[in-house]
Amino acid sequence: MAQINELIHQPVRLRIMSALNMLETDERVDFSTLRELLDVTDGNLATHLRRLEDAGYVQVEKTFVGRRPRTYIGITPAGRLAFEEHVRALQEILKA
Amino acid sequence: MTTIRSEEAQEALRLVHETQRQMRRLVAAGGAAYYLWLWGVIWVLGFSAEYFLGAGSTVGWIWAGLDTVGAVLSLMIGWHFGRKLRSSRGTSLGLVWLAWLVYGGLIIYFAQPQDANHLTLLIALLVMLAYVVSGVLYRSAFFVVLGVALTVLTIVGFVLFSGAFSLWMAVVGGGELILAGVYVWRAWR
Repeated sequence: MAQINELIHQPVRLRIMSALNMLETDERVDFSTLRELLDVTDGNLATHLRRLEDAGYVQVEKTFVGRRPRTYIGITPAGRLAFEEHVRALQEILKA
Repeated sequence: MTTIRSEEAQEALRLVHETQRQMRRLVAAGGAAYYLWLWGVIWVLGFSAEYFLGAGSTVGWIWAGLDTVGAVLSLMIGWHFGRKLRSSRGTSLGLVWLAWLVYGGLIIYFAQPQDANHLTLLIALLVMLAYVVSGVLYRSAFFVVLGVALTVLTIVGFVLFSGAFSLWMAVVGGGELILAGVYVWRAWR
């Protein structure tokens, strides 16, 4: 039986993981684009990303495009597995 | 162990599906509407000029100018949307279009189309091939259907309306690209 993941279950983090899980393995989304998609503040997104990064679920890459710093975020294999198990657990609750 | 009520699970799954839908559109759209509008307008202008001015060096220069503007603006659109999402698929798509450009040029050069209609047919078919390939690459049924539909319409115009083929391509071909852009803009936002 799949287990609920408390870290992922928080609504903003759940939406972050939902969005990132749509990316291919080598794809990364820009921080500002993710912020606009989720309609959250810079600080809020950064805080939740840090928690997910500490858990090894997301990968944050800082780089430069021209002279401007940009941050790209992707999902790790562990993050994908954890998210998919969490979704399975939610579905099992509905079926029960 | 966390206990979750079914209402909470349902709401969480709704959030998951809604966010995935938004993300899918972001990934799939990638400026597609702008490309479609840009090239739709270019087709309308270029083929209209060809129909009303007749094939000749003036129209050749008009096409060269329009294609140059189209290529530059396409690169700008690609650059703008490429910043949002880093993807090897974006590079693959760029390489598909580059290969199309090179092979398209070679095919047209060596095939030596008999007249303006044959040249238009050949170019339109090559462009639609690139649309279909791009659709397959991006797993986008929309672009595959768009490419096939335009291929059919191009052949219908070539066979049935050869006297006004350029006008057909301006209205039907360019028009379909613009309408497809409107569809993408409304549906994928």
